Amino acid sequence: MRQSRPIKLLLAALGGEGGHVLAAWLHDAAIASGHYAQGTFIPGVAQRTGATTYYLEIVPGAAVRHTAAQRRPVLALNAAPGEVDVMVASELLEATRAIQAGFVTPERTTLIASCARVFTVDEKSAMTDGRVDPAGLREVARSFAHRLIIADYTAVAAEAKSLPNAVLLGVLAGAGVLPIGFDDYRNAIRRQGKSVDVNLRGFEAGLATVTAPAAGETSRPGPAGPELVAGGSQAGLWTEAALTPFPAEAHAVLASAVARLSDYQDAAYARLYLARVGTFVSRCGSDGAFIRELARYLALRMSVEDVIRVAQLKLRAVRLDRLRRESRAGVGDIIEVTEYLKPGAEEVLGLLPPRLGRWLLARVRPDLSWPMKVRSTRPSGYLRLWALAALKRWRPRTLKFAEEEAWVRRWLDLVDRAYAVDPLAAREVVATAALVRGYAETYKRGQANWTRIATAVIEPALAGRLAGVAFADAVLQARLAASKDPEGQALARTIEAIHAGAASRLAAQ
Amino acid sequence: MAEVSFQREIASLRLRDGDTFYGEGILAVTKALLQSGVAYVGGYQGAPVSHLLDVLVQSEDLLGELGIHLETCTNEAAAAAMLGASINYPLRGAVTWKSIVGTNVAADALSNLASPGVLGGALIVVGEDYGEGASVIQERTHAMALKSSLWLVDPRPDLPVLVRAVEESFALSEASNTPVILELRIRACHVYGSFPAKTNVAAAYSTRHRLAPAAFKYERLSHPPVTFQQEADKVARRLPAANKFIVERQLNERMGPSQGDVGIIVQGGLFNVLNGRLELAGLSDVYGSVSLPLLVLNVVHPLVPEEIAGFCAGKKAVLIVEEGGPDFIEQAIGQILRKADLVTRLHGKDVLPMAGEYTPAVVGRGLAAFLRRYALAAPALEHWLGAIDARRTEVDRLLGVALPARPPTFCTGCPERPVFSAMKLLKRELGPVHVAADIGCHAFATFAPFSQGNSILGYGMSLASAAAVSGTQLERPISVMGDGGFWHNGLLTGVAGAVFNNDDTVLVVMNNGYSSATGQQDILSSKEEKDGRGKGLDIEATLKSMGVRWIKRVHTYGVKSVVGTLREAMRTGQKGLKVIIADGECQLARQRRLRPEWARLAGAGKRVVRTRFWVDPEVCTGDHSCIRLSGCPSLTVKPNEDPLRTDPVAHVNNDCVGCGLCGEIAHAAQLCPSFAQIDIIQNPTWWDRLRWRTFAALLRRSGGRASRQPTAVVPAA
Repeated sequence: MRQSRPIKLLLAALGGEGGHVLAAWLHDAAIASGHYAQGTFIPGVAQRTGATTYYLEIVPGAAVRHTAAQRRPVLALNAAPGEVDVMVASELLEATRAIQAGFVTPERTTLIASCARVFTVDEKSAMTDGRVDPAGLREVARSFAHRLIIADYTAVAAEAKSLPNAVLLGVLAGAGVLPIGFDDYRNAIRRQGKSVDVNLRGFEAGLATVTAPAAGETSRPGPAGPELVAGGSQAGLWTEAALTPFPAEAHAVLASAVARLSDYQDAAYARLYLARVGTFVSRCGSDGAFIRELARYLALRMSVEDVIRVAQLKLRAVRLDRLRRESRAGVGDIIEVTEYLKPGAEEVLGLLPPRLGRWLLARVRPDLSWPMKVRSTRPSGYLRLWALAALKRWRPRTLKFAEEEAWVRRWLDLVDRAYAVDPLAAREVVATAALVRGYAETYKRGQANWTRIATAVIEPALAGRLAGVAFADAVLQARLAASKDPEGQALARTIEAIHAGAASRLAAQ
Repeated sequence: MAEVSFQREIASLRLRDGDTFYGEGILAVTKALLQSGVAYVGGYQGAPVSHLLDVLVQSEDLLGELGIHLETCTNEAAAAAMLGASINYPLRGAVTWKSIVGTNVAADALSNLASPGVLGGALIVVGEDYGEGASVIQERTHAMALKSSLWLVDPRPDLPVLVRAVEESFALSEASNTPVILELRIRACHVYGSFPAKTNVAAAYSTRHRLAPAAFKYERLSHPPVTFQQEADKVARRLPAANKFIVERQLNERMGPSQGDVGIIVQGGLFNVLNGRLELAGLSDVYGSVSLPLLVLNVVHPLVPEEIAGFCAGKKAVLIVEEGGPDFIEQAIGQILRKADLVTRLHGKDVLPMAGEYTPAVVGRGLAAFLRRYALAAPALEHWLGAIDARRTEVDRLLGVALPARPPTFCTGCPERPVFSAMKLLKRELGPVHVAADIGCHAFATFAPFSQGNSILGYGMSLASAAAVSGTQLERPISVMGDGGFWHNGLLTGVAGAVFNNDDTVLVVMNNGYSSATGQQDILSSKEEKDGRGKGLDIEATLKSMGVRWIKRVHTYGVKSVVGTLREAMRTGQKGLKVIIADGECQLARQRRLRPEWARLAGAGKRVVRTRFWVDPEVCTGDHSCIRLSGCPSLTVKPNEDPLRTDPVAHVNNDCVGCGLCGEIAHAAQLCPSFAQIDIIQNPTWWDRLRWRTFAALLRRSGGRASRQPTAVVPAA
């Protein structure tokens, strides 16, 4: 016993996840099973979402006795890199952070990690997709853990109507890495006395993920498949035949695009769309990837979310089930939905005929807007939305529609001319459409950025005024810069740099 | 009413002789106070020592039985001044706070306490908020102990040792008439272990056996001319008395063999970390059986020259393991060696860093360098050090990207977040504004997505720190202060100063009802409740009585009105201090209060409405401006279900408490029509049901075009 080495365990959790309770259960269970246990923790700003760590050492068999004779094991106080036997992490990024800090080693460490992601502010506030690639994180876990037990334990907890910390205790028990019997864990939960039933439920659920057959590397089902929506009447028109002229890579996109546009406006509008894509197919049909991206962006731009579209989307029956599901409404509960809408001058006056709309827009306050909270689940609110959606037939005569059409034509024309010069550049010109999206401020900002790129980079390049500058690269750089900061400073700098580059090359010649 | 309930812990404070105490370090210290016959306890909350007070606040019966007077002080200066009771009376007293910050606030009282010295044992338990998890500037309490001649105890973080340290500190304090500081690092406060309990001791004089006032004794005052005698007394009598006591009671521990070429002197608080590395070097084991001479300084000030010299005598070299800078201990030992004319080589900051926490890796490197120097082979240690760096490079290579940091942030539904959203919106309008930040939850606004704040000068100091700024800038600066900081310090250093000097400046007071960051302790303006200590003081009335003329109250969640009020404060022609009181109860406290109530009502079949927010994934275009304005943990992103879109859409997860901020922002910033409020009605009335059926019918008739036909032409994608 004198020489029995301590089993060292490190927990990484986020504030508010109950890491402290988990540590307390373990400590309690270890002592109850006749081992010597001691630990400490860095609570971070508990409850306030920062990272927290809990460190525990268990000396098998060295039961706690306070006699002059007994020499107590010295708690290392800090987990030391390379000296952790069991690492438990409630979140994938934090697990990776622990690995980076050296707490998970191939020689020694069993890593129990939840692959659930709690995105950091940096990741979720990015203007495009700022998420760290989970595959990369899992790869690191796989290559550094002596033994890896990974699953979405947050989801397991949700299913069991319990909490992740209890589930993780169950997984830890099931993993059999600690000299503690299942019942000692269960009793620890009972002794600690914190919402015992809920936590026992979580414990059993966690235990099952490891002990049940086909356990181990489990993965939860992803989000529900796309809810494609199309006017039933038109849907019949479309058969595989309609898509044969197009490269296979583009079929999926085209199909959903056609569905979306038939629903957005009508069959004729969808045909116009196919025709527009068609003109490019005749020229560069072989380039399937190019057509797919062109088709994708064209569909998005041709189904721009105007007031009518928003009303249309908010009237869907499919939302009922979704709302019930996502709001976790119980059987017999009723849900009331209040939509927060605030159309601005452009959006509302955009419903008028172009001439009248422009005339009025030039005269109203630019910040004019109509904030409304529409109770869409009340007949009154419902009818307001229905009335707006009913304007669909009128849409082609509206100012907004006219402006969007103009934009689409200009964009397609640039793509067309760019393709003639440099197909790679044409791809990039296609991709710039990603910048124009959203509503109100976001939409204006996107429009402005796109126009800057079109006039300051694409047009000059086409006119051969950007000597020696790689066309495709310039457009790519500009597009990426536009998505860096909402203030558009990065874009300004990039465009400057592009022109400076061109100028210096001219001077050199 | 504090965040955590301590029923179990309170029971453990009643343990008697023969029982074994299991629990956290800071609670062991609390139990030790009771075992030491303490007559009064006080302090100011702050990690990592908050629990000491939180537990006692909830143990009124126990305190009553033992006759202990408990004071939840309004700041650390008040706590330090309270120790004045031990100057004239044989009362043992203990106070606690977070160091270094609290010690700084207490400095004046500490000096005036230390000068006359104490009759009854006076103990100051400070949480040394240093290293990982620290939330304050990195400085050592040691300097304060040196300049005021307070003794500094830095015990080995093993519960029985901590408990003995408390008991002996009182005795040391009385033996040398000097207050003692017991410093506990974060990990030591949270050490989970056990010790053999003793029965609590009731003080001879207490709330139950009251004293008569002391006779007038000029020498007990810290006032000239006696201050000169007191200064002399510190060195002539108190220091020798302390040294004698430390040696006699063997407060410092000699470990390992008595003889040896090289030895190590370590701060008690660092012994465990050192032992782990010695183990790896083959010089110790799990049980701390050290095989080279080791001196563990549980008392780091004063250092007993004879004890140090005695340890170093006959050694080639000693290594001082002392965390942080300046290297006070190393300097003192150097002087001791010189005066004792010992040739022992002195190592410390030459192999260990002057700055930063002494983690296993850091101590390991220093130890390895020291051993190498004296040809003591430690292959396992060397190999371990090499492996750490190798592995890190390997991980980084495999990752390829830097991992995004995860700083703490406002809780879900926090009432302070909307104010910073409003400030961010106003910035678009007014351009940059100087923001004087403060200590408290609101300091999280210095992190993304708000990234606001130009300076932090201390707890409740924001307004004072903006005084000169207001006089030298075109735009008025905005100072942010919590109600905790307001009562701790801000009212006088900030408000009074700004009124007095007629500073043209703006102050935002976050009125959430508690000292929230430290665990929701009650403050003066907390609601009066039977189990709380709040007095329901009104901040607005206080400001009026201080002569503030421009005061506006806003409900924080109303972003639009907050923006409007801020704009008015920045633009109004009225000079002088303008205060905005931002009302919104701490959401953690609110949820803890309401959740059980809602469950009870729902269970009783009553109509209960639960509100949460929702983002319409079909309408969201994935630009995330909402997140850049909110940063709420429950407002996150999820994969886009639209086959034509790639960027993730915003998503409100199930932690949402329905505070309504996202909707408010969507309106105030005119973001997008994706946000919807969902009210879930449990036990609906017949009227609710009727309305719902009508709607469902309408929806199915006209809007219900959820045909899935087109999927027929979608090749399996």
